[in-house]
Amino acid sequence: MSADLSRLLNAIGLLGIGTVLALAFIDQIWFGDLPCPLCILQRAGFFAAGFGIALNLIFGPKPSHYGMAIIGAVAGGAISMRQILLHIVPGTGSYGPPVFGLHLYTWAFIAAVVIVVGCAIMMLDDRQFSRAEPMSVRLKALPLSALLLFLVLAVANVFSTIALCGAGFCPDAPTDYILFNSSPT
Amino acid sequence: MMSLPFVLFACAIGAAWMRQRGVAMGFWVVGLVTMLVLFRVHVTEVLNIQL
Repeated sequence: MSADLSRLLNAIGLLGIGTVLALAFIDQIWFGDLPCPLCILQRAGFFAAGFGIALNLIFGPKPSHYGMAIIGAVAGGAISMRQILLHIVPGTGSYGPPVFGLHLYTWAFIAAVVIVVGCAIMMLDDRQFSRAEPMSVRLKALPLSALLLFLVLAVANVFSTIALCGAGFCPDAPTDYILFNSSPT
Repeated sequence: MMSLPFVLFACAIGAAWMRQRGVAMGFWVVGLVTMLVLFRVHVTEVLNIQL
C-alpha cells in the first residue's frame, strides 16, 4: 500500500468518525436527545481516536499515530462498555431511544471496535511507512474536508458541552441546557 | 469541566494543523488523561432513569 492510498483510506476513516460525531450532534440538536456525562465522554473518546488518524493525514502514516487512534478507541470503548453494563440486567431501563434496535452507547462500542480492527488492518502493510520523500504539505480535497469537519465538530462540542453543563460537572440525566436555563424563577 | 477534553483535543488538532507535532501530541495526552479522570468521576454513578 502506497502512502497516498494510506492517506486516502485514513481520510475515509476520519470522515466516518466525523459522521458518527455529526449524527450524535444532530440527535442532540434536532431530536433533543441530550447526552449524559458518559455519552459526552464517549464522544471525547472518538476525538481521541480520530486525532491519531488526523495525524496520519497531516504528517503521513506512522505506527505511533495508529497507536494513538487505538488507545483513544479503547478508552472510548471502555466508557461505552461501562454504560452498556449499567443497563445489561433486564428491567434496568436504558438511556435515550434506540436507533436501529441498539442504543447509541452500544453503537459507540461497535464503532470503537471497528476503529481498533481498522487500525490493526492498516498497520499490517509496512510499505506505507517506508516513504523516502516527505509527505506533501498540501492536502487534497477529501483529507482536507475530513480534517475540517473533525475540527469544526471538536469546537462545536466545546460550546455544546458548556451550554449543557456550564463550568462544572454534568447532571446524571440532563433535561435542559444549564447555560440557557440559569435565570432565577 | 466536562468540555475540557474537547478543548484540549481541539487545541491538539489546531497544533497539528500548524504542523507542531510535539505540541499536538502533548495536548492529546493531556486531553486523554483528563477524559479518563472525568470517567473515573462518573464511572460509579447510577443514571436517574424511569424504569
